[in-house]
Amino acid sequence: MRRWFVILVPYLWLLVFFLIPFFIVFKISLSDIATAIPPYTPTFSITDIGGFFSQLDFENYTFIFQDSLYIGAYFSALKIAFFSTILTLLIAYPIAYGMARAPREWQPTLVMLVILPFWTSFLIRVYAWIGILKKEGLLNLFLMNLGLISEPLTIMNTNTAVYIGIVYSYLPFMILPLYASLEKINPALLEAAADLGSPPWKSFWQVTFPLSIPGVLAGCFLVFIPATGEFVIPDLLGGSETLMIGKTLWNEFFNNRDWPVSSAVAVVLLLVLVVPIVLFQRNQEKQREAGR
Amino acid sequence: MSGATVQSATPAQPKSPLRTAAPQSGFAPWKDPSKAPIVRFENVVKRFGDFVAVKDCTLDIYEREFFALLGPSGCGKTTLLRMLAGFEKPTSGRILVAGQDITELAPYERPVNMMFQSYALFPHMTVEQNIGFGLRQDGMPKDQIATRVDEVMALLELGRFGKRKPHQLSGGQQQRVALARAIAKKPRIVLLDEPLGALDKRLRQTAQFELMGIQERTGTTFIIVTHDQEEAMTVSSRIAVMDHGEFVQIATPGDIYEAPNSRYVANFIGDVNLFEGKVVSISGGFAEIDWGPGLARFKSVAPEGCTGDQQVWLALRPEKIHIDLDKPTDTSNTIPGKVVDVGYLGSISHYHVELANGQRVKALRTNSSRTVDRPISWEDKVWLQWPAETGIVLTR
Ligand SMILES: Nc1ncnc2c1ncn2[C@@H]1O[C@H](COP(=O)(O)OP(=O)(O)O)[C@@H](O)[C@H]1O
Ligand SMILES: [Mg+2]
Repeated sequence: MRRWFVILVPYLWLLVFFLIPFFIVFKISLSDIATAIPPYTPTFSITDIGGFFSQLDFENYTFIFQDSLYIGAYFSALKIAFFSTILTLLIAYPIAYGMARAPREWQPTLVMLVILPFWTSFLIRVYAWIGILKKEGLLNLFLMNLGLISEPLTIMNTNTAVYIGIVYSYLPFMILPLYASLEKINPALLEAAADLGSPPWKSFWQVTFPLSIPGVLAGCFLVFIPATGEFVIPDLLGGSETLMIGKTLWNEFFNNRDWPVSSAVAVVLLLVLVVPIVLFQRNQEKQREAGR
Repeated sequence: MSGATVQSATPAQPKSPLRTAAPQSGFAPWKDPSKAPIVRFENVVKRFGDFVAVKDCTLDIYEREFFALLGPSGCGKTTLLRMLAGFEKPTSGRILVAGQDITELAPYERPVNMMFQSYALFPHMTVEQNIGFGLRQDGMPKDQIATRVDEVMALLELGRFGKRKPHQLSGGQQQRVALARAIAKKPRIVLLDEPLGALDKRLRQTAQFELMGIQERTGTTFIIVTHDQEEAMTVSSRIAVMDHGEFVQIATPGDIYEAPNSRYVANFIGDVNLFEGKVVSISGGFAEIDWGPGLARFKSVAPEGCTGDQQVWLALRPEKIHIDLDKPTDTSNTIPGKVVDVGYLGSISHYHVELANGQRVKALRTNSSRTVDRPISWEDKVWLQWPAETGIVLTR
């Protein structure tokens, strides 16, 4: 009885908070736009089930795949997410490494500092970047006062700003799994490597890095997956050149009020992300097995 | 002398039984002034903050020795070994290997390899890759690495496990991989930090003999850290007994047992009875010891530099004491007592005998004849006796 309950709860959770919403979105994506409330047709009716199903079709999907705007937005989002992930990794690795090598008694404080930004709203933190990056913002003021530049840099409303925003926002998601895997490495392994003739930089590539790969993968997925669908950052920091599928989806939904097409965009986005999500799950499972 | 000529491990040699590595009779380079030590600690001190972990240690270890650092937990054995490996820097003093000062060398530049207490096997590498790790660092060609790895795996009977990862091995197998990795580069010196600590008692004993066999066959100098006196006695050519960061005695297992230089050593190695007393006279190399009013005085070989009226302790190994129901004819060193405890262990029996002053003495008797007239039992009045040569007079 209790065993069943334990198994049932997560499935129930998935059903209520994932599967049912997904089917609602999927259903809307098969509908047609209508000037009504809700703004699509058909709506489900018990009395005419045959008629209901006959009105559903894949029109919206065909539309998305024929319009280069959507395809472009998908690819652009994947590209931005990909490069932001790499950038985040490059910045996070030394930080996580330093944390793992820091004296034991400092480490809880350092972890605390990494998650401290979460105590402020994500939206506010992204807004704060506007204040830093805009023409008369803090960064330009600072650089001009130093005399490094004479003209203010145009960072705001460019892809650069989007990269900065994504890297900044997702850095903790990269640092934490990296730190977790680096911190687990037995220091005696590095001593053993040195003892067998490996200088420190070689030991890093032969021992530390390979043993941190589960953390690298976990961190990359944790950044890449949400970054692909990111909407707030490109909307607030990006410009007209910034094309990301999350923003497109938002526009479709709130500006055009085309629920069916935006639902189709969402479903395709989900399908695109299924591959990395499955890979991520595999990585987590492998890690759990190795930990045993 | 068979082991002395073998330079490297060769799988063609018979695998077992491994010969017990009781040092070849006559193997005593420390007595030979023409021999230069392979390892020399020169006034080595190690402080951690205010705490002195190693106090002014000076020690010579010779080629092909199986040298044991023995002492209770926390006495600085590991620290000494780690200084030789290069993981800790001495606060002062020098460490020399084959005459060369290595104090400033990084661990990866030193001609020593270590077998770690936790084994420290690389979890992401197979057994083969672990064993070959050191060889790869030297840029040895791939085929030569493979040959050497096979050779070492054969020596340690790991042939079947080459493709496994460390977590797929038992504790005993991991221990052998760790040893294989430490000897793969044919280092001049192999350091072993409590190498068998994680094994259960039965496996430990087998592994001790294996260690000795490997040490003999490879002709390498082994330095082992252990807190297990039996292990040190079994495997080593010489033992340095440590206490609070200092060497108390450095000698062969036999000398440590038969001629401990202090109560600390006598107590640490094997069972011992200690009688506290005062030297009253010395004549003909023998000291007369008064160990209490109204008690017959003991006679024992006087240690060097012993003076009259000095406080001493007479150390007696239980097996050196004859225990008998009848009063012996030789009346020197003879004391009466009452049996309070008997432990029958088949081949030998232990007796705990209470003396008139309440002190308890342990005595051993081998059960050599099956038909003893009457076995000694609880509450029996017995006589204890030992020759004047067998007791050791300790002055500290
Ligand atoms: N890195 C260190 N920092 C501070 N104290 C240490 C350090 N390493 C060892 N010690 C101390 O030095 C003493 C000797 O340690 P160790 O050599 O490991 O002892 P053993 O191996 O004989 O058990 C211990 O009291 C230990 O706490
Ligand atoms: Mg130790």
